[in-house]
Amino acid sequence: MACSPPPATPRSGRAPGGGKSYAGRSRRSLGVELTNIGITPGQLTGLRAPTSRGFPKSRNITEHVDPEQIALLVKNEWKLSYVTPLYQFRHVQLKSYSKQLSAFIVSEKQQGIAVEIGLETNFKVVFSVVLGLAETEDDAETVFIQIHSKPPFAGDGDVPKIIWSGWLTCVGGNPDYLRSLPSGFVCLPLFCASGSESLTSLVKLWFERTFDCSFGTLNLNSTYLQWLASMWTGCHHVSSIRYLKLVWNLPAQPPLDISYTVHPQDAWDLWNSVREQDSTGDTIGINEVERFMKGLESHFFRHFRIYLSAGMLTKVSTAFGSAHCDGKIKVCTLLQPGIFNIS
Amino acid sequence: MLGELGMRGDGGGCGGLVNAPCPFSGVLAHLSALETESVRLVELQREAWRQQATREELCATVERLRAQRDQLRAKVLSATSLQQVMTEVDQENEEKRSEEEKSAGDSQLHMSLLTARLSHVKNLLRAHHLIGGYDITETRRGKGVCFSIATAFEDRTLETYNVEMDLARTMRICRHNIPPFIPLERLAQENFQSDIMAFLDSLSMHLNAYVGRRQQVRLIQELFHGSVKVLESNALCSILVLRCRQVGEKKAAALCTLEYGDPTRCLPTRVTIDSEEKTLTDSPQWNEIQALFLETPAHQALLAIRREERIA
Amino acid sequence: MEDVAKELLSRLVRRIPLVRLRHVLGRWERLSKTQLLSLDFTQPKWALCENLLSLCEENEIAVKDLTEIEMLYRSEYPDQGVWHVFQLVDTSEESLSSDFMHFRDQFKANLKDLINHVSIKMKKLEDESVWIRIAWGGNFSRPNHLKPTYVVHHLQTPYVFVSSLANKHKPLLFQALALSAHCGSVKDVNLSGRCLTALRDLSMRQYKQVFPSRHQKRLEERDLLPNPSIENEHIKLAEYKQQVASEVFGDGVLPKLETAVYKLETKYREHGSENLARRDEPFRGVVKFSSSNLLESLKYCVSSGMASTPVTPLLSSITHKGRNYFVIKDKQHGSVPNTSASKF
Repeated sequence: MACSPPPATPRSGRAPGGGKSYAGRSRRSLGVELTNIGITPGQLTGLRAPTSRGFPKSRNITEHVDPEQIALLVKNEWKLSYVTPLYQFRHVQLKSYSKQLSAFIVSEKQQGIAVEIGLETNFKVVFSVVLGLAETEDDAETVFIQIHSKPPFAGDGDVPKIIWSGWLTCVGGNPDYLRSLPSGFVCLPLFCASGSESLTSLVKLWFERTFDCSFGTLNLNSTYLQWLASMWTGCHHVSSIRYLKLVWNLPAQPPLDISYTVHPQDAWDLWNSVREQDSTGDTIGINEVERFMKGLESHFFRHFRIYLSAGMLTKVSTAFGSAHCDGKIKVCTLLQPGIFNIS
Repeated sequence: MLGELGMRGDGGGCGGLVNAPCPFSGVLAHLSALETESVRLVELQREAWRQQATREELCATVERLRAQRDQLRAKVLSATSLQQVMTEVDQENEEKRSEEEKSAGDSQLHMSLLTARLSHVKNLLRAHHLIGGYDITETRRGKGVCFSIATAFEDRTLETYNVEMDLARTMRICRHNIPPFIPLERLAQENFQSDIMAFLDSLSMHLNAYVGRRQQVRLIQELFHGSVKVLESNALCSILVLRCRQVGEKKAAALCTLEYGDPTRCLPTRVTIDSEEKTLTDSPQWNEIQALFLETPAHQALLAIRREERIA
Repeated sequence: MEDVAKELLSRLVRRIPLVRLRHVLGRWERLSKTQLLSLDFTQPKWALCENLLSLCEENEIAVKDLTEIEMLYRSEYPDQGVWHVFQLVDTSEESLSSDFMHFRDQFKANLKDLINHVSIKMKKLEDESVWIRIAWGGNFSRPNHLKPTYVVHHLQTPYVFVSSLANKHKPLLFQALALSAHCGSVKDVNLSGRCLTALRDLSMRQYKQVFPSRHQKRLEERDLLPNPSIENEHIKLAEYKQQVASEVFGDGVLPKLETAVYKLETKYREHGSENLARRDEPFRGVVKFSSSNLLESLKYCVSSGMASTPVTPLLSSITHKGRNYFVIKDKQHGSVPNTSASKF
């Protein structure tokens, strides 16, 4: 499943300076890169930690993807899961899937507590395709799902509210892996959900039953969060990150959270000072990432004499978005360097 | 007293005769009774003597200890600093050691002498601690010291307060557990840099007075539960309003307001008593009570008044 | 009833959880027993509010009676909203002898001299704390009872705890406080949090502190270290760390402080980043510690070795200085980070 999860990092035409001009000069892509969430290509299949990553290549996502659809992907905080390849999934049958899933949800809800029936029977599920996110011919097109519901006492004029959304995607998947799949399987290895836990599990259940697949939690390890912090910081000269915020959790009793918010310019200066002389600019090495983090941690230690390494890095955020170790990701701006590369 | 005893002693002598059968039984029975009585009295007398002797002995011990304490106090005061004491001790050790080395060179003897000396010094320190002296402890490898000030009221040891000072650059209080209403800052400004002993003494006076006043309030609540009510007090215990009931048909309530104007004393500076019965409060008796409150701790004053059955 | 009274009542009902509301109304003493019993606390809040409104109208309850409900609620359940600690400085000897009546009259008179439209309610609780509720008005507007400021002061101590104070009212409140508490001025001690008791205990040092002493008994044995082999091998070190941790953060139940914030403006000095060290500007950042009981967490970090000893002055200043917001700058000469100066 080498694929990358769907990222929400599209950048739209309203980016200052215009996306295209960046594409020409920048060594870092501002485009949406759906490949970097800590699972490098092949990582979902073989566990191999990358020792270097390329900055996502510039790709003007707005040329490929409808900005309205991008906007959908950008505003929510997504909870990530991985999915095994789907059997007999057809992009052409999305309409029928919509009906099946909404019927499934209603029937499942009715088995539940009686009180809920009145409240949530007005479900409407919409499946759609987000074209253009796929990077290669081997990548399957992204599928977007929304669940609408009418509030119980809503008037006729009220528009149904979106109560859940989610999507399945594959960006820059490992071609060798994708080609090795038997026919009848579609690989959309990253599942992002936003909405109530109960709906998320119902949707997962339906997919598991219908396409003979299985879902698993996708946690973001410290290393991935460190890559992200470094890559975001490295983009600061192109588009301001406004701040770099890192959160650690120390296993004290009671647990201690330590957040360290660094001034963006100072973070960028530190990043520049740890970059290797001969680095080409297009890739960053794990050494550089480690030096950057060590630089921040030792500055912290000089003041507080607390070993951050005793705890765990739990969250990284900048104006571009945030990533939490329990697999939650938020993308705040369309102008964003490739963050969502899970591969 | 002796004469009396002598006479009774004679009576005792007669006792031997009394036991014999005797026709004058009425007189003899009387004598016999007298004899028994006298024997009992002698026992009592002896007991009293014994007690007095013990008391005298104890008094002597107290005197001796007092003298010793005063001596120690004087010694501590005369030593301008702790360092001086330490150097003195060191010097004495040094002298002894050199003497020892010259004369015998017996290292074992030398060691035992040192140990004895050490325990002596330790005992001195312990004694100093026991008489309520300030403890001083070195902290942070010599960069600070911590003083402990013990407080007591009426033979009862109460809280120990601490002040930790930073000696790194200028002397500075870095941490303490002195209650917020003790004007630590002001006391420090007054004589902190110049005279540390004066600072500690005045702080100790404030603290002892405060815990003393607080203890009085506690004792009143404990001893007069139900009869005397503490209507008002405050954090510093600088004001105490008590309500008690007078003995008498009317059981008139009296309100005693004790104001402690001097924060370094545990006796009030002003006492006012209001009663429902105006005539009573003007009487000389009540003036006495007022004076009593000014001179004795409040709970003791109340005990005395209750003993005289003036309050319920 | 006035509209203000109605709005205040419905706000109170909405904000106060039902169990607490029942308790507070019971203590309020404005409703008769029968009236209280007639209230059904299982019904939805809006219905309860209607019933309460009609009872209040029946009893001709005014705004000032309703503010009493709020005051009862706030003083019984003080751990809500953010409290800021201020200190009265240059207190005179008079401050030690002030009593509640005198302070109350003085404060009311002083504040009303400064601002015309203000409604002040004061009471003294059993723990000797004085609670003040101030509803502020403008030049031409009546006091706003919906956004009152709460002030808690313990007479004879130099500490004042304030909640929901607008910047424009700060000088007025401080001036009135300074005049009635006989002090020179009021200063911010940079200590704030939700738990009023914790702030009080920390600033007035009413928690168990540990001081080094020759005569002190050993700290009680506790199994703080999670790893038994470490405990066995480094028992002495562990005891030392435990002692250091207790001396810095205290012993027993520690005040429930939730956060501490440090604004770092110090130079970057690590090896290997000479470029960064050479520049003149400081390396800017904000560090925030948070925990359900910060002092416990930090103490654990020290005693378990997650923080090295001795404890940095930055952390020990939380208890030593009684504050939880710091701006850290380099000293002009020398390399030790400096916490901005504060007395004691």
